Order: sequence, then C-alpha cells, then structure tokens
Amino acid sequence: MKLIEALEVMKQNRVDESPTFEIQLACGFTPLHFSTFLGAHLRREFPGSQVAISTGTFGDLPGNLERLAKTQGFTIVGVIEWQDLDPRLGIRLLGGWNPPQLNDILQTVRHQATRVLMALKTLSDRNVVVLALPTLPLPPVAFTPGYSSSQLESDLQCVRATLLSKLSELKSIRVVSSQRLDQTSPHAERFDARSELSSGFPYSLSHADKLADLVSTFVRSPLPKKGLISDLDNTLWNGIVGEVNIEGISWDLDHHTQRHGLYQQVLASLADSGTLIGVASKNDPTLVEEAFSKRKPFLARDQIFPLVANWGPKSESVRKILEAWNVGPDSIVFVDDSALDLAEVKAAYPDIECLLFPRDDDKAAFNLLYKLRDKFGKIAISEEDVIRRESIRAYHDAVGAGPVEGYTPEGFLQQAGGTLTLTFLKNPPDPRALELINKTNQFNLNGRRHTEASWQQYLSDPIVFMAVASYEDKYGPLGKIAVLAGKIEGDDLMIDHWVMSCRAFSRRIEHGCLIGVLQKFSVNQITFDFLETPRNRPIRDFLGELAGDSTLSNYSITRKQLFDTCPPVYLKIQEL
Amino acid sequence: MNDIQARLTRCFAAVFPDISEHQITNASLDTVEGWDSVTAATLVTTVEEEFGIEFDADILGNLTSYESIFNYLRRTNV
Repeated sequence: MKLIEALEVMKQNRVDESPTFEIQLACGFTPLHFSTFLGAHLRREFPGSQVAISTGTFGDLPGNLERLAKTQGFTIVGVIEWQDLDPRLGIRLLGGWNPPQLNDILQTVRHQATRVLMALKTLSDRNVVVLALPTLPLPPVAFTPGYSSSQLESDLQCVRATLLSKLSELKSIRVVSSQRLDQTSPHAERFDARSELSSGFPYSLSHADKLADLVSTFVRSPLPKKGLISDLDNTLWNGIVGEVNIEGISWDLDHHTQRHGLYQQVLASLADSGTLIGVASKNDPTLVEEAFSKRKPFLARDQIFPLVANWGPKSESVRKILEAWNVGPDSIVFVDDSALDLAEVKAAYPDIECLLFPRDDDKAAFNLLYKLRDKFGKIAISEEDVIRRESIRAYHDAVGAGPVEGYTPEGFLQQAGGTLTLTFLKNPPDPRALELINKTNQFNLNGRRHTEASWQQYLSDPIVFMAVASYEDKYGPLGKIAVLAGKIEGDDLMIDHWVMSCRAFSRRIEHGCLIGVLQKFSVNQITFDFLETPRNRPIRDFLGELAGDSTLSNYSITRKQLFDTCPPVYLKIQEL
Repeated sequence: MNDIQARLTRCFAAVFPDISEHQITNASLDTVEGWDSVTAATLVTTVEEEFGIEFDADILGNLTSYESIFNYLRRTNV
C-alpha cells in the first residue's frame, strides 16, 4: 500500500459512523506514517469499524507502556526498537559509541528490557498486546567491521531472545514473527536515516507498510480453517497406487519424492493440533486401506476421518466428508494435484478453498506447507482440539451404522448417559469461549463476533455472566461446546451471546443449557438478543419451538414456558 | 488541470481531508488550520512518494503552500 492510499483509507474512516475500534499504539518513535498504515490496514481487516489510534510520548516507550497499566479490555500495539532500550542505539542522540561505553549500553538495554517486560506483564492481564521486537538494524556502534558479529551485537540479540522467550509465556501477548517480517520487508531496506533525522520516524515507507500489515493481521487473528480434505495419489504420496501398487508409492529422498513426506508431516501435525483431516480419493478403498496399513505414511490412518475412496466425482466424496464433520464449506481447504478435480469441487462448493498440490515442483510444494500453516495455525492447542476427531468418529460409529431393530432416537439419548457441566467463571476468561463465539455459525444467537480485547471489555462489566458448557457421554467427551453470556436485569435473564458447536447437536444440550442457567439464577424470564443471520437457522428453529412461535416475533420465554415445552432431557446437569 | 496538478491535488486531499477541492489550490500554512509539523512531514513524504523524488533539506522550509510545491515540481520536471 502506498502512503497516499493509506491516507485515503483513513479519510474514509473519518466520515464513517460505525462503532469505533480503539487501539493504543505504544512506541518510542514518532508514530507518523506507521500509525497511518496501521489504521488503514486495520480498516481493511475490520471493515465494519471505525479505527481510532491513540499514541504516547515521543522517546519513552517503557514509560508509554507503564502509563497504559490501568487500561482494560484494549488492544495494545507495542513496537520496540533498539533505540527505545538505549537511545545510543539510535542516531538522534549523540551519546557516544566509544569502546568503553559498550558495556554500559548493554547494561542499559538489559535494564530497560526488564522494565518493558514488567510493564507488559501488567498490561497482559487485562488487555491483548500485539508486539514487534526490534525490527531495525543496529547502527555501527561496535568497533568491529560490519561483516563481523561483535560481542555487543551477540549480547544484544541474547537480550532480545530472552525477552521474547519470557513474553511467550504470557498468554495475552502476541509477538510478530521476525521470520515472516524478513520475508516481506528486506532488512536492508527498513531504516530511513533521512526520515529519522528530520522527523524522528525511522522506518522506510515500505517497512512501515509491511510491519503495519503484519500487526493488523495479528490484531484480527483470523480464525483457522476447521478441516483439510486431501487427495491421495500424487498428493499424499507419489504415484498412483492402482497402477504402481503399494510398493510403488513413495515419499522419500531416494525416490526424489520427499515433498510428499513433508506434506504428510504437516498434515499429521495439523491432525494432532485439532484440524480435521479427511481424504477424498478416486481409488479402490481396499487398496487404500492396505497402503496405509503396510506402508505406514507419516499421516497415520487413524488421524484421518473420514476416508472416502471410490470412483465417483470428488465433489460427492467431499459432500460425505462435510456431512460427517457437520461443518460449512467455507471452513474447509481441499488439496489435490488434479486441476480438474479441484475445479469440479469448486463448482459444487464455491466456498471451499481449493489448493493445487504441485507434484513436480519442490519449491512450490514447500511454499504450500507455509500456506497450510497460515490457514490452520493457532496460538494454542486446546483440550477440544485434542479430542475433536475422536468425538466425531465415536458419534458416527455409534449412529452411523444405521438403525437396528428396536432403535429409537429417544432411547438412544436415554442410554447415552450424558453429563452437561456448566462453569460460570469469567475471570480469567476461558479462551475457548471466545473461539466458539467467533467460529460458530449455525447455532449462534446473533452472529456477533468479538476481538480478544472487546470480549475482555464485555466480560469486565460486573453484571455480565458467562457460562461455558462441557459435555460428555459414554461415547467420550465433546469438551467445551457451548457458551452463554448475558446480564441479569431484575427478573429477566438477558442473553447477549449463545453459541453451540455443531458437534453437540441432537443431544438436547441446548435445552440443558437453559435449564442449567435457570438453576443458577432465580429469574422468571429469559430474553434472547436474537438476530437472524444467513446461517443461524438451527437456533432460530429451536427458539421458535420453545416459544411456540414459528415466526419468532417474541424473543422471550418464561421459566414456566420452558419447562412446559421442553422435551425430556436425559442429561445430568451440574455446575463446576 | 494538468498531470502534476491532478496528482498534487490528490496528495493535498489525502493529507488535508477537511478542505474542499477548490480550496486546495490556495492552500498554505496560513490558510489551512491543520497544517502543522506532523501534517507537513506527511505531506512532504506523500508528495515525494507520489512523484518519486526527494526534496532537498534546504528547501523544505519554503514548501509552505500548494503553489510553492507545484512550482518546485514544475521546475524540476518531474
């Protein structure tokens, strides 16, 4: 983005009357064009919001962070450069670069880094902080030639690495990847000495743009995709198993097919991080099962569910996988080496992201691995991520075989032995709650999303409650699958947010959630802040049934109405 | 309006969003309320990026109006 384009985006921002998204920018340099680029990129990331950026005092980054100590529920962007840790590492002050001074510079940097760490620890308790650690090159401070790494440079990098390691332990701190920044903003083109000396702004326009872009992506933290569907032949492995037989497929250096092994390695890692991995392959299913059991790819057979191998169109196999997962096509990535199959799936499901596996191009295949990490990567792996695949598999094993004699849905629910556990703790907020709020579409009261900061701000209101529901039955745990949040106003429970994972459908968990909150709070009415969205029909139908009103003109239900209309709920409902 | 004028006008409109297009050609440090050190630095950088030039440090102090910047750009044949 050029500066003039960023200014024009921000010009539009001024006349916009949408809700304001506030950012606190903490840096030691004049924010000038970085602030403009950050605002413009944030406007693109949050098109429904007006962006307001507040800045601090020039030349005092640690102080700026300390002055933010009392803020709560904000997104704070911190940009630390070497000169913020000792001005002698900048070029605006002449403090001396004599060899005897180098140790003092190092000590000052260590002291200031500790000060920054302490300030960030305080901030991260109540805010979300996106941070960039020194991005600019060191000036020629040390006495060594530039091609030699000096003791000072090594020691400063050690301080940086220690700071980074300690910050990584703080759950609300997000540090921008220096490796990714290196890829988009070449190191030698970042510093603008002329601008730094004339206005105190040290970045080239290009660097300011790239850093702001990365930071704003991080502020938005796009939700990871939920599932990956992969082809097998010439994708998961090299060769067509039906032609070269099981012994002929490969994914190793000896056969020059290592790219497939790397792809398997990433998919196995994704599978164990909570991403659903399915296979859609035009193949003989028996041969495929044999290939997995005899050749044992890095992506193990039990990390895949479901595996659909047949000779029909790929889109039909994809449909079966989507049904098994009960997720929307927009949460899915499909990888195949056949452009034709990709096009066929895309025609049937335009919202699926289709990626070509470059079977003859190592470089492109390696880049695909980065792309997959970006699409599926997550900041932390939750308990639900670990059990997701098995809970879907267990449910399908239980009901997927089709009805047997004597089977009734009612009887199935009754014998499942479900336990619904509600937790009413909101401090510290369970990160799973926000994840559910932001990724659930079907059973979602109004589709309203939150950033980490706005969610913390919402929960900080003393009258707001939050209930996180976990479920388990004899087929295994589903983990935390629902969130209700709202306020108690007199005799009325106002529900602002209610989401439930689609994995939890058909168990009357939604009824159990309402019974659970009515057990907790002595109110006589529940009012839902319902808003129809293109995809929340399941919750609309549920509320309509409860209220006995198919048009759902009234979004309230009394305690008596609930218990009168509620079908039998075979759940043990408990509070943790 | 020639090409230099059109591009310079776009720069001014982006940096000073509160002034109308017909006020831009008469804009100066004295007539535009928001013209301060920060907007001046932004204006200079925007014009430099737009025209692919770097102003000499000596003349920055003289670039205090639309007219002065336009004349500089015309003189330097950008």
